[in-house]
Amino acid sequence: MKLSKFLLAGIVAATGFSVSAESILIKNAKIHTLGSQGTLQQSDVFINNGKIISVGKKLTNSADRVIDATGKVVTPGIFAVANSLGLAEIDALNQTVDSVTNDEMSGASFNLDEAFNPNSTLIPHNRVNGVTRTLVSPAYSSVHLVYGQGSIMSLNGNYNPLIKSAVAIFGSYGESGSGRVGGSRATALKELQTLLDEAREYADNYEAILAGEYRELGFSIDDLKAMQDVLNRNTPLVMSVNRASDIMTLLRFAKKNSIRLVLKGAAEGWMVAKEIAAANVPVLIDPLDNIPRSFESLGQRIENSSLMNKAGVELMFLGPGFQNTHNAHTVRHSAGVAVSYGMPYEAALKAFTATPAKVFGSDTSYGKIMSGYDAELVVWDGDPLEVTTTAVSVIIDGELVDTATKSKRLRDRYKDISTDQNTAYRK
Amino acid sequence: MKNKFYKTAIAALLSAVVVSCADDSEQEKETIKPFASRYQAQEFQPVFIKNATILTAAGEQINDGAIYFKDGKIVSVGDDLSEPSDDDLLVIDAKGKWITPGIIDVHSHLGVYPAPGVQTSADGNEMTAPVTAEVWAEHSVWPQDPQFSLALAAGVTSMQILPGSANLVGGRSVTLKNVLGRSVMDMKFPDAPHGMKMACGENPKRVYGSKGRAPATRMGNVAGYRKSWIQASDYKKQWDAYNKSVEAGKPGKKPKRDLKLDTLMGVLNGEILVHNHCYRADEMAVMLDIAKEFDYKVSTFHHAIESYKIADLLAENDVCSAMWSDWWGFKQEAYDTVPENVALVDKAGACAIVHSDSAVGIQHLNKEAAKAMTSGVNMGLDIKAEDAIKWITINAAKAIGVEKQTGSLEEDKMADIVIWDGNPFSVYSKAEKVFIDGALKYDRANAELQPVSDFDLGAVKPEENRL
Repeated sequence: MKLSKFLLAGIVAATGFSVSAESILIKNAKIHTLGSQGTLQQSDVFINNGKIISVGKKLTNSADRVIDATGKVVTPGIFAVANSLGLAEIDALNQTVDSVTNDEMSGASFNLDEAFNPNSTLIPHNRVNGVTRTLVSPAYSSVHLVYGQGSIMSLNGNYNPLIKSAVAIFGSYGESGSGRVGGSRATALKELQTLLDEAREYADNYEAILAGEYRELGFSIDDLKAMQDVLNRNTPLVMSVNRASDIMTLLRFAKKNSIRLVLKGAAEGWMVAKEIAAANVPVLIDPLDNIPRSFESLGQRIENSSLMNKAGVELMFLGPGFQNTHNAHTVRHSAGVAVSYGMPYEAALKAFTATPAKVFGSDTSYGKIMSGYDAELVVWDGDPLEVTTTAVSVIIDGELVDTATKSKRLRDRYKDISTDQNTAYRK
Repeated sequence: MKNKFYKTAIAALLSAVVVSCADDSEQEKETIKPFASRYQAQEFQPVFIKNATILTAAGEQINDGAIYFKDGKIVSVGDDLSEPSDDDLLVIDAKGKWITPGIIDVHSHLGVYPAPGVQTSADGNEMTAPVTAEVWAEHSVWPQDPQFSLALAAGVTSMQILPGSANLVGGRSVTLKNVLGRSVMDMKFPDAPHGMKMACGENPKRVYGSKGRAPATRMGNVAGYRKSWIQASDYKKQWDAYNKSVEAGKPGKKPKRDLKLDTLMGVLNGEILVHNHCYRADEMAVMLDIAKEFDYKVSTFHHAIESYKIADLLAENDVCSAMWSDWWGFKQEAYDTVPENVALVDKAGACAIVHSDSAVGIQHLNKEAAKAMTSGVNMGLDIKAEDAIKWITINAAKAIGVEKQTGSLEEDKMADIVIWDGNPFSVYSKAEKVFIDGALKYDRANAELQPVSDFDLGAVKPEENRL
């Protein structure tokens, strides 16, 4: 208890989260704790002051609100990864999209924290469907190979959404990357090496560099500063890559430079799964994707996730294709498909909760249903991976989230359709 | 199980030349029908599947039922069938399994936007003029697209391949049986009508507006459709007059053929079905008025994000809506999403369809329908599996004009049938066996019955296929 209060005080101080006074007792649920308690049947969770206080059978805590979850299932909230939630309203309207820049000076230093809009209509849409946090990331770049930082944001909807800034730096290698640097993988790799070399030079000579007494460097000062956390292994470099041989190249590159690497996409990951596992490199994939989209993805197949998992690769799941932002919540269905093709159930569930928390450094407060963890969880009316299952209660920072969405209001306006000309007065 | 073909039953379809009459004086009416279907149903033994849960798409869920099909056609379906006595009968015990009609996708670009998605084979959008009614999607279909086999393994037996949506009129669509062939003619659904793709809203105005030419606005879009219909009406008048003169034995001057106007006239003659990409309710309403002005019918609004706003109007006009369960927000016209869209359209008595427009989505149409069903049920609508199955089978068949041949499990219809290893509305269920015209074309348990395109040969090893 002492520890959790201490942690809580720290969080409140750091972020200004308001903490609910209401305590909540969820009763009789099946609970996927994803922690040491495993999966509990007919068990309870007691929540107070934004934290999970206790988890177990027949809890006797008196609570302001009791949720009868008989026949229901509790999991940590969905951690959506690598999307533009809060940074894009409509994909085709550039002015609503802040997750892309063509500014030549903003590569590794491109940081999205202040661009995040907690009032985006996409946030309630995903939140009522169980998404409680997201790792926002730059969508792509037409200029840089390494093009910006990802931060973890809460979907709590308030003006302090930041959970952790710059937890990863994103880039790409292969067909799309090489197009930006001379059209060859060979020049792309050289460019990546130059970025790291100049970052090291910056670390060793920053005084002279800032004083303008050093040779001109190819990358901006801000980018070289941003890369320091990659060099010192605080932050992983997340590289989009698909071809097996490109994955091998990046594994060697990471080893040689002693940096932490995460692979994204990894269409042919299964072909070199042993090597990825041996290098301890986690992988982000869209488990629904079995389309050979390009000549660097010829080996793409639906069993990619189960084969990599079997080889011991730590997997995280992306939502579906280009809908990974607007429909980030459907990652749970993608996980269900992965399970149908051999991925173990708990690994699939962790792939959009506990595993990204672990990889991106927030697993001491989120990703497990256990005492002392943030009260950030979902009550489902059935198996959370199932397409006929719905989120019935979503809790963030210990509070039940508002269930209103634009969609629901539209639905209610039009559900009793008639020749009424006054639809616009229905609110 | 080796490929033998019906030779007699399909003879008519093999004939590429259709001579409409023998009378000398009417020789002018002789027309060649190019690119006719050369699809041949594969010969297969009679099949009896028993102990299954069957969603017929004719309104029923039959528990512990059986289905019997022979010579490509469904003979009987029910819960009281006795085992037929054919010598070569294949009996499948489907205890714990489910049977549905073959899945039909009314909106696919397989073959015209094949994998890999590279410029050299991206052949779905003739973005060179706002009205390209003269192009036919079938001339872009690459039969070796590896995505066809993935869709087959997901239970998809028929699909409409459409041109893209850059143009006001994008060209003719084609309906295919999901069988690999050496040419598109080997895949064409016999006697299926052509469709014609039209597009509302943002795409045409963006594509042409950005080139500094019409249309650059929605009013420009509407002017573009109407101008085309005026031309087409005029063209039809000339042909009608000419055909009449031929019938009267005094042939007049034969009008000059125009490929573009041929297609548009086909719509006015009721031979070609209009498939209209249209998101917003207000634009759909405008399109229905244009259809009235020029006396044609809209078969289906595709994408139809806002159909729920005018579900009554759609029911009244007998227009189908092809929708996603949850896609939204990629364009402003896709902003007013409602997950209950499909269910609300259905409940209003209009024809509701779940479509994919995606090489991934086409592999999960059963789950997409399940999501749409769940949204409807959650708001209190009475929708059952036997209703929701229609969204990806018979209603889709109706939209593309093949509902008399396929789309439901009823006597004498094509035996396009899927055996699922569980409830098809579960995320964990997979198509286990897929029959097209009564022949087993996919079997998850038998690598011999898993078709592989030329492209995938050498790209993936047989034991390492994409599924």
